[in-house]
Amino acid sequence: MGRVTHHRMHPAGQPARPRVAAPHVAIVTPAQARMPTTDELNEWMRAVAGSGDRTAFAALFRHFAPRLKSFLVRSGTGDALAEELAQEAMVQLWRRAASFDPARAQVSTWLYTIVRNLRIDHHRRRTGVVDDRGELDETDTLIADAEAQPEALLLAAQRERGVRRALAALPPEQAEVLRLSFYEEHAHAAIATNLGIPLGTVKSRIRRAVAQLRQLVEGLEP
Amino acid sequence: MTRHHPGDDLLIELAAGRLRAAMALVVDVHLDGCAACRERLHLLDAVGGALIEEGHPDPLAPEAWARTLERIDAAAVPTRRASAPRGPSRIRMPAGVAWPRRLDACRSRGWTWMGPGMRFARLELPEDPQARLFLLRIGPGRSLPLHTHEGTELTQVLTGTFDDGRDTFAPGDFDATDETVMHQPVVRRTGECVCLAYVGGRLRFQGRVAELIGGWVGM
Repeated sequence: MGRVTHHRMHPAGQPARPRVAAPHVAIVTPAQARMPTTDELNEWMRAVAGSGDRTAFAALFRHFAPRLKSFLVRSGTGDALAEELAQEAMVQLWRRAASFDPARAQVSTWLYTIVRNLRIDHHRRRTGVVDDRGELDETDTLIADAEAQPEALLLAAQRERGVRRALAALPPEQAEVLRLSFYEEHAHAAIATNLGIPLGTVKSRIRRAVAQLRQLVEGLEP
Repeated sequence: MTRHHPGDDLLIELAAGRLRAAMALVVDVHLDGCAACRERLHLLDAVGGALIEEGHPDPLAPEAWARTLERIDAAAVPTRRASAPRGPSRIRMPAGVAWPRRLDACRSRGWTWMGPGMRFARLELPEDPQARLFLLRIGPGRSLPLHTHEGTELTQVLTGTFDDGRDTFAPGDFDATDETVMHQPVVRRTGECVCLAYVGGRLRFQGRVAELIGGWVGM
């Protein structure tokens, strides 16, 4: 897979485009929605980045917005804020679509880093701490490896696809350690409580779980 | 060749967005110079991506789509700010040592003497102003007093090399220690050592003079 050259989008300068009908997006239930393939998701991203395609954006919104909200709620964010951050993440997806590189990451991972940073920024603002480092610069770690070998990047994207299968193949207690790390605010303490192990053992438990995950991902056929 | 890297327990906290800002900063400085760790982090970010995909969708409010379109139409401003703030002007790095751009947002009063051949600069990170974050500058052949920690200490070596009785740490190396580690970093005679350090709890120095110095510099 070669690197795709995107054109920068200029949302402000674009001619008015027809609105995509709202009901089409809002009332689709999980049962009706077929899971889009990686290729479809990448295609939609390309269409958003290249020509500000709102139909493609609607498809991405339909798939990801409810999942982002669900993820946020599961990780302890209140319903209203989860809704707000999920929408903001989709706005970021629209604005930053041109910086998404399908050879480097899957859309879900790229969006994950966006929503994570939005949540961090929100908490900093709430605690009165101003972040003046510039918006979302952490997300760029996913696209900052332009100097890396193309084969290595391709390998990265392939390996990433194996993560879901590897998570499913992990022993349940190790998968739980990983999930808790993402869902719990004081993850180490929560893991200690949930698994009934001393806090000091948690770090080594996490390390083992990640090592196991990495081994599984690397052992999977691309 | 970098030999010491952040552990997966730290990287997963970073990936989860749960690491306090000052600690994340030290890890990020390491990541900026370590492609292998960026790749490790990427794998953990992908776990986040998988968790987004695996959950049951939680429907948004009916007006969410319309509101998102409004925000897109309203957003004409570029997302990037024009220019990043410069690093603290009072901190001169030794010749040949690059200022880590990650530290640009930190405020500092500059270098302070803390002993022969030893200086430190307290860094204040705007989003984590209480954190004890330092640049340490230790001359060739000098050593910090033997000490342990009340909490986590993260160190990223920017230049120079030190041995601390456990191992050798060279430029690019990362070290995480806690209350279980008692160590005495000794800088090699080949050159000055500059480190970025986050100190989670107070350091506990052995010996009264060392304790006094430690108390004075707020470490």
